[in-house]
Amino acid sequence: MVSISKLFNRFFSGKSRYDLADAEEIRTDFKRRYHHFKLLLNSNNKALEIMTEMEEALKGVLPFGMQFVRSRCTAVSTNVWQIVRHLNELAPGRYKALDDRFKEIQTGINPFIKPKELPRNGPLVMPLLTVDTAHVDQVGSKMANLGELKKQLDVNISDGFVITAGAYHRFMEYNDLQAEIDRRIQATDVEDPNQGISLSGSIQQLIINSTLPEDVVEAIEDQYGDLEGRRGKGITVALRSSALGEDMAGVSFAGQYRSELNVSGENILDAYKWIIASKYSHTAMAYRLSRGIRDEGLAMCVGCTGMVDAVSGGVTYSRNPVDREDTSIVINSVWGLPKSVVDGSVASDIFIIDRTEPMRVIRKEIPFKEQKFMCYAKEGVCRMDMVGDKGGLASLAEEQAVELARLASKAEEYYGMPQDMEWAIDHDGSIIVLQCRPLQRTDLRKTRDSVSLSSRELNAPLCEGGLTASPGVSSGSAYIVQKEMDILQFPEGAVLVTSQALPRWAVLLSKAAGVVTEQGSIAGHLANVAREFGVPAIFGIPDIRNILKDGQQITMDADFLNIYDGQIDSLLKDRPSPRNLMEGSPIFEALKGAASKIVSLNLLDPASPAFRPENCKTLHDITRFCHEKSVEEMFRFGKDHHFPERSSKQLYIHVPMKWWILNLDDGFNEEVHGKHVRLENIASIPMLALWDGISAKPWEGPPPVDGKGFMSVMFRATTNTALVPGVRSKFADRNYFMISKNYCSLSSRLGFHFSIIEALVSERDAENYISFQFKGGAADDKRRYKRVLFIGEILEKYDFIINIREDNLIARIEGRDHQFMKDRLKLLGYLTIHTRQLDMIMANEASVNYYRSKIMNDIHDLIK
Amino acid sequence: MDSYKVLVVDDEVEFLETLVKRLSKRDLEVHGLDSGEKALEFLEQDYADVVVLDVKMPGMDGIETLRELKKRHPMIEVIMLTGHANMEVAIQGMELGAFDYLMKPMEIDELLYKIQDAHKKKSIQEAKIQMMEKIIEQEE
Repeated sequence: MVSISKLFNRFFSGKSRYDLADAEEIRTDFKRRYHHFKLLLNSNNKALEIMTEMEEALKGVLPFGMQFVRSRCTAVSTNVWQIVRHLNELAPGRYKALDDRFKEIQTGINPFIKPKELPRNGPLVMPLLTVDTAHVDQVGSKMANLGELKKQLDVNISDGFVITAGAYHRFMEYNDLQAEIDRRIQATDVEDPNQGISLSGSIQQLIINSTLPEDVVEAIEDQYGDLEGRRGKGITVALRSSALGEDMAGVSFAGQYRSELNVSGENILDAYKWIIASKYSHTAMAYRLSRGIRDEGLAMCVGCTGMVDAVSGGVTYSRNPVDREDTSIVINSVWGLPKSVVDGSVASDIFIIDRTEPMRVIRKEIPFKEQKFMCYAKEGVCRMDMVGDKGGLASLAEEQAVELARLASKAEEYYGMPQDMEWAIDHDGSIIVLQCRPLQRTDLRKTRDSVSLSSRELNAPLCEGGLTASPGVSSGSAYIVQKEMDILQFPEGAVLVTSQALPRWAVLLSKAAGVVTEQGSIAGHLANVAREFGVPAIFGIPDIRNILKDGQQITMDADFLNIYDGQIDSLLKDRPSPRNLMEGSPIFEALKGAASKIVSLNLLDPASPAFRPENCKTLHDITRFCHEKSVEEMFRFGKDHHFPERSSKQLYIHVPMKWWILNLDDGFNEEVHGKHVRLENIASIPMLALWDGISAKPWEGPPPVDGKGFMSVMFRATTNTALVPGVRSKFADRNYFMISKNYCSLSSRLGFHFSIIEALVSERDAENYISFQFKGGAADDKRRYKRVLFIGEILEKYDFIINIREDNLIARIEGRDHQFMKDRLKLLGYLTIHTRQLDMIMANEASVNYYRSKIMNDIHDLIK
Repeated sequence: MDSYKVLVVDDEVEFLETLVKRLSKRDLEVHGLDSGEKALEFLEQDYADVVVLDVKMPGMDGIETLRELKKRHPMIEVIMLTGHANMEVAIQGMELGAFDYLMKPMEIDELLYKIQDAHKKKSIQEAKIQMMEKIIEQEE
C-alpha cells in the first residue's frame, strides 16, 4: 500500500503524464473547483442582495423590526463566511488573513444586534409610596413619575404597589416565552395586517396561558394583603401598564397597552397577565414597528392601585398641544371615570385656563355628555346613560378647574417640561392623580398663504368646525371605518372617517393621510398618536359619516378646521414632507451600526496594492475581494494547468477570432483537444446569448471625431500612457470568456475601455444574475463620465440597477427568468461592441443624439 | 439527477410534516424525525445524503446534533434551519461543518436548491475518494 505522502506527491507533483485515470481525476478536480466557484457566486449574489436590502431599509421610508435587522445580519454573515470558505477551497492557504478579518468584523457587528441585557435582580414588587424616579428601570416611567410627584409635591395618589420589571422577566423566563415569541414574529410578514392580527392573537394567547411563577404570585398576594390591611378588606384595584422605555423622547406610546379597572383581589393575577399580553396587541406591535422601537428592553411593569370611584375625571394638558405660542392650560373632563376622555368615546367638557396668576377659566365648552363610565360594586366598570339633565351640566366647578390647572402647572415646573396629567375626583372632592407624563406638542399654521386664500380653487368647504386634534393639511379619499374588520381593507393614503376617536384606529395612522371623527377629545390616545405621526386630525364634526361619501376625494385643513371636496393643490403645496419615523429610532440605529460593518465598500481598485485581505474593513470588502480573487483563481488554474482539454481555446468562426475561451466545467458540448473551439460546440447558455448580441449588427467603426474630441484623447495619452487601468492584469490582455453551461464571464478591452460581464443563467430563477462593469476610455474625464451616463441610461431602461462613480459603471440585475436574462445579455453583448470609442463624441450633442437613437432602435430589434 | 435520501429533523411536527410532504413531491426520498436523538439513531441503522436540521429543539439541540453527526458521519451534508436568527449560532454551525444555514420561513425552492447543491458536493467528494482508492489499488 502506498503511503499518504506518496499519494500526496502524486496528486500535487504537477507531472504532466496523462493516462486515462489522470484525465478523469483532473476532470473531477475541475468539477469540484467549479462547484465551489458556483457556490461562491451564489453566496456572493445573495450577500450583495441583502446588502442592497439593508441600504434600502436605511432610507428609513419603510418600517422594520429587530427581527429584520437580526435575520439580515445573520444571513449576510453566513453567506460571506461561505464565500471565504469556497475561496479557501480554490486557493488553500493563500488568503489566510481573511478568516481573522471576518471574525473581527463579525465581533464588531454583534453589539448592535445583541438582545439588551435586562436587569435581573431587584424586587418583584414595590409599594408605590417607596417609588420615585430613581426606580424607573424597575417600575417604568409612568409609576416612577407618580411616586416622584407624591414625594416631591405631595399630590394625592392612590395607594398601591408596582409589579416590577424583575417580576416580568421572571415570568417570561420561567415559561421561556421570549424565544417562542421571537420565532413567531420571524415567521410572519408583520406589515401584512392580516398576518399581524393573527400573530398578535397567537402571542397574547400564549402569554395568557402561561403560568406565573410561585414567587411572583406570592409577592403580589402579599402586597395585596398589605393594601387590604391599610385600605380595607376586599378593596378593588386598577391595574395600569407602566412599561420600560415609555419615557423615550418623542415617543408617546399613547393607549398602546391595556388597563384593567376595578379588579377584585381574586382576579389580580389574571388581569396582570392580560396586561403583559397587551405588549403584543396588534396596536402596540404596529406602533413599535412604525416607530422602530425594540421589543426586548421593553419590560412591562404594572401599577396596581386602589380603584378611585370617580365623580368626574379627565386629562389636563399644562400647555396647548397644537400651538406652542399658546400658554393656556387645557382641561378635558367628563362625568365618572376619565376613561371616556382617553378612549375618545364621549364628547368631553373643555376648560381653558389662563396661567397668569390669579389663574382663571377664560373659556369653557360644555357639550351634552350622554354617557359615563362607572364602577360596579364588586368588579368591573360599565358605561351608563346619563339620566335627567345632569349630562348637560359641567363636570367640574370652575374652582376645581383652577385647582387642577395649578397642579399641572406645578408638575410642569417640577419636571421642566409640559405635562399630560390624568386625574379623578372622588366623592370627597379630592383630586387624585392617576398618571403624569411629558406632553407631546406640535404646531399649526397661524395664517394661510394669501394666494391660496384668494384662489378660485377654494370653493366653499363641505364642512367647517370641530377641534384640531393634530394640525396640518392633507388630501386623500375618504374611507369610512366602522368595525375592526375595516382595518384590513383600509387603503394606503386614505382619510380615516369614523364616529368615535377610539385608540384601536391608531394602527391605521401609519397608512392614513388624515383622520376625521364625529366625536373624541384632543386629549385622547388617538389624538396623541396622530400628532406623533404628523397625521392631520379633526375631531368632533357631527354627522361627518353622512356628509362624506366613501371614496370621495377630499382635502382637509386641520389648522383652520375645513374640509373641501377634491384635491386642492394650493392648500397642499406648503405642507411639510412627511416625518421619517424610522430615522433615529433604536431599531434604525441598530441597523445603521451593523450596516457600518457590512455595506460600505472600501476596496475599490483590484489593481491597487491596497487590495489585500488585511484591508477588508467590512463584509462588503471581503465579498468584493473574494469575488475578484475567485475569478482570478479560476482563470489562473485553467490557464496554467497543462491539461490540453482545459487550456484556453480560441473561438473559431470561419477564421480564428480575437476571443479566447476557458471551459470551467461543462461549457462545451464535447471535449476539445485542439487550439480552436467552434461556436456550435459551445454549450454555455449565457455565452451564447452574449454572442448573439456581439454578432447581431456590424460595427460601423470608430465614430467620426471632431477636433476637440481628438485633442482630448491626445491630452489624456500624454498624462496616462497605459490608458487602461490595469485591472486583472493578465486576464485583461485578451478578450476572455470563462464558461460553464450556466455561467459565463467575459472580460474584454475593446477600444480603450475595459468591461467585465458576469452572468449565471439556469432554471433556478432566484439564483440568476448579470453584473456588468465598465470603466475607462481614451477621452478626458468629462467625456468618459458622459459615456458611462449614456450607457447607464440605456441599461436603466432595461431594468438594470446602476451605480456610477467617476468613469466606473456597475450594473446589476438579478432573480429574473431565463428568457429575460438571455435578452439582457444580448443587449450587453451589443453594447460592448457598439459603445466603443463613443466617449470621444460625448461633448457633441448632435452625435450623441444620433448614436442614442441608433442604439435604441438596434436594441429594440434585438430583443423585441 | 438521480434520487437520493434526505432526512428532515424538526421538533415542530406540523412544520416537519409539511416540509416532508412538499419535498417528497419533488422526487426526493424524504424522511422526517422530530428530535436530534432520533436522527442519530436513524443514521446508525440507515443512511441519508443530506440532513436538514432545525437549530432549536428540546433535548439535544441542532448544534449538538450537528457536532455528533459530523463526528460519526463526516460525509453527510447538513443544512441548518432556524426560526431564531442568531448570527453567532449560525457561524458556529458553519464552523462545525454545516453546508448552509437557512432562516424560516424560506421558499421551498430555496431549500431544494440547497439540498441539490449539498448533494452535488457530496457526490463530487465521493468520486474523488473513489478515484484515490482506485489509484491506491493500482499502486499496490
